[in-house]
Amino acid sequence: MKILVCVKRVIDYNVKIRVKSDKTGVEKDNVKMSMNPFDEIAVEEAVKMKENEIAKEIVVVSIGTEACKETIRSGLAMGADRGIHINSDEDLEPLNISKILMKIVENEKPDIVLMGKQAIDDDSNQTGQMLAALSGFSQATFASKVEKVDSFLNVTREIDGGLETLKLSLPCIITTDLRLNEPRYASLPNIMKARQKKIDSIDVSTLGLDLSPRLSVIEVNDPPERKAGIMVKDIDELMEKLTNEAKVI
Amino acid sequence: MDSSVIINKNIVKEFDLTKKLSTYKDILSEFSKISAKIKSNLKSKCIVEDKIDPRLFEQNQFICHGYAWFETYRISLEHTFNWFNDLCISGESSKLEELVLASAFSEYSLQMRDGIMMSQSEIIRPLKNLDLDPSDFNFLNSKETKELINYGLTEEVKFGIVDFLDKGQFPKLGLKDETLEMIQDQFKKFTDDEIIPHAHEWHLKDELIPDETLKQMADLGVFSIAIPEEFGGLGMGKTAMCVVTEELSRGFLAAGSLGTRAEIAGELIRLGGTEDQKKKYLPKIATGEILTTAVFTEPNTGSDLGSLSTRATKSGDDYIINGNKTWITHGARSDLMTVLARTDSNQKGYRGLSMFLVEKPRGNCQNPFPMEGMSGGEIEVLGYRGMKEYEIALDNIKVSKADLLGEKEGQGFKQLMETFESARIQTAARAVGVAQSALELSLQYSKDRSQFGKEIINFSRIASKLAWMAVETTISRQITLFSAREKDNDIRCDIEAGMAKLLAAKVAWSNADSALQIHGGNGYALEYPISRVLCDARILNIFEGAAEIQAQIVIKGLLGK
Ligand SMILES: Cc1cc2nc3c(=O)[nH]c(=O)nc-3n(C[C@H](O)[C@H](O)[C@H](O)COP(=O)(O)OP(=O)(O)OC[C@H]3O[C@@H](n4cnc5c(N)ncnc54)[C@H](O)[C@@H]3O)c2cc1C
Repeated sequence: MKILVCVKRVIDYNVKIRVKSDKTGVEKDNVKMSMNPFDEIAVEEAVKMKENEIAKEIVVVSIGTEACKETIRSGLAMGADRGIHINSDEDLEPLNISKILMKIVENEKPDIVLMGKQAIDDDSNQTGQMLAALSGFSQATFASKVEKVDSFLNVTREIDGGLETLKLSLPCIITTDLRLNEPRYASLPNIMKARQKKIDSIDVSTLGLDLSPRLSVIEVNDPPERKAGIMVKDIDELMEKLTNEAKVI
Repeated sequence: MDSSVIINKNIVKEFDLTKKLSTYKDILSEFSKISAKIKSNLKSKCIVEDKIDPRLFEQNQFICHGYAWFETYRISLEHTFNWFNDLCISGESSKLEELVLASAFSEYSLQMRDGIMMSQSEIIRPLKNLDLDPSDFNFLNSKETKELINYGLTEEVKFGIVDFLDKGQFPKLGLKDETLEMIQDQFKKFTDDEIIPHAHEWHLKDELIPDETLKQMADLGVFSIAIPEEFGGLGMGKTAMCVVTEELSRGFLAAGSLGTRAEIAGELIRLGGTEDQKKKYLPKIATGEILTTAVFTEPNTGSDLGSLSTRATKSGDDYIINGNKTWITHGARSDLMTVLARTDSNQKGYRGLSMFLVEKPRGNCQNPFPMEGMSGGEIEVLGYRGMKEYEIALDNIKVSKADLLGEKEGQGFKQLMETFESARIQTAARAVGVAQSALELSLQYSKDRSQFGKEIINFSRIASKLAWMAVETTISRQITLFSAREKDNDIRCDIEAGMAKLLAAKVAWSNADSALQIHGGNGYALEYPISRVLCDARILNIFEGAAEIQAQIVIKGLLGK
């Protein structure tokens, strides 16, 4: 079985985000970037499947600037076999990413596509679902457990009020949730091995896709600063404010 | 940070240092002229017939060590400059690195004229002590240079640095290699998740680092870094070792120091051992199956190791070892001791010493030395906990000729010296990690603590401490990485390695002290991790060559050149 894992390079979750002064986006220059944490979980799941001899090959794909190769390399250091880098300097929206991934899926013919349920930068939570629609693969989102049973995958998802288990036929697309696993640290030997693994680079323009944007960002703003609290005299004043000012009651 | 802090951001913006690099270069070349002058003064004082005269050298010890410090500052500044220059070339530099460079140059340049603190109580004053003339420093008053030096001392630069720190941005490490960056990233995560949450508890309970953590580190490859591939290691070299060591030490000094033991024993055997000894031990050291301990110091011999008195007496094909050792780190939970002992009692100095590989059963806290002829007790310590130190009596311990390192007598001291470069670089990296942890802890505290209506990070006296910690940590990291790279390229770097250890240990202590000050009374409470970091930082000036001995080694190297 072959697994395709999609990983996105995002601003590291430890970095305090700064909005650009012209409000066109956030400051990315000289900011530490890492693999989207949900995608790390996807890589870990794939590596586990390989260790359990469910999968034979793991291919990591990332779309973006040249620097994405570093992100792919961390996936390889965790245990993936090879990488594909789709080179693009544009900020691509989820539908376009899905279209590009669809091309990779056509070429690679994976049995399972794993990716994070969302990326921590734009929190879109769309790519997996869109790719499922484009490919017609079965899909399970927000996976917290994946088990192989005969030729199917049982995927447990966390939903409001409990757990839901889906039985998927292959090929399928699974998006990962936080509780699925704890990604490993890449050990020094594996980091060294990753240096020898192959990363193919493909320029996005050679794919022959219409990637014109359908969304435009009007403005990016900092969240409003927290204001100092006030003291209320009594319960009545509190109720009055909750009802009329905060409008939460 | 409070935006009301009055700093003139325009000054910071206007000053584009990338355009002033040639002025910094000029400063460096002027200092190297001064250095040559001091050196020739000292040579005329201490060198007789092309050799250092021991008596004259001892008489001039203070000023000689002063020059060692002067050179340490000069060379470190040079590598800080190179760090920035390389970042500019690769397009990775940001305003923060510029501000760090400016501050580093201003402060160190002026200290190199007005006085360098060799310790808390000893200041070397180049103008007075090193026979320099005020006119030697005229270059500092030229218009361009003066402007640059003054800029580096401004509140704007200081608050500019702190502003970045506050936003979670630290000066770039400048590793110049994607693999090293990935290693740093992984070990940072490991340290944040697996070491930092427990370190203070291990310290307060005075426990050994748990076996499970040791196992995790072994699985990550910590003990195999320097062991050659043919013997089951990774053969990765010193730069990788520094990166891993700094990160682990940032979490807990003992975590970064576990690797030191593997490093010392590994290097001893790799460089001095027979093929059989290499095959027997190196693969197991690499996997962490064998934990090693360095057994050199004795109650009456520390710095002056050459005069030690533990004896290894030949008896047929065996040797019988007798003597008292002390300060043996990780003495109990270890399987292999590298013991330095005297095989030739007619040779009182280092020539009579040999190194032995002595296997022992692993002990624990209750029963540290479960072996006949070996006994000892724990030495309770202020910090550096997690491995425990012991004094050990060796009573008729029998080893065979095959356990003599390299199966050659009289080579022990020389074999040990060959490992010093690596050990110093590794210890410097430990110190950089401790220095960084002091910075991180106090930065957080200064944001959380408010007095007089604002977070204390906004006060100039707190900001200067934070900014300077970031600057000096960077300087000591760069001289450390430089030595490591030289070593990786097989270039002799004993002097730079000594400088790196000397400076980084001082910076770790000064950062820890500043960081504790920022904590106010809470810093003095055992509950706060900075109290541990202060105790941990203090050891770095003592072991692997006390600061005075380290300066002595550096100056001998410099005058001998
Ligand atoms: C926590 C800890 C762990 C240690 N772990 C180990 C270990 O695992 N294995 C091991 O073998 N050893 C270990 N040591 C020992 C350590 O290496 C020695 O403490 C160190 O070498 C200094 O020796 P000393 O303590 O005997 O001090 P001394 O040599 O007695 O020095 C005392 C002071 O005099 C100064 N001094 C000495 N000679 C001169 C001189 N010629 N000129 C000017 N000043 C001088 C020194 O710098 C120092 O300030 C450890 C020590 C400590 C504290």
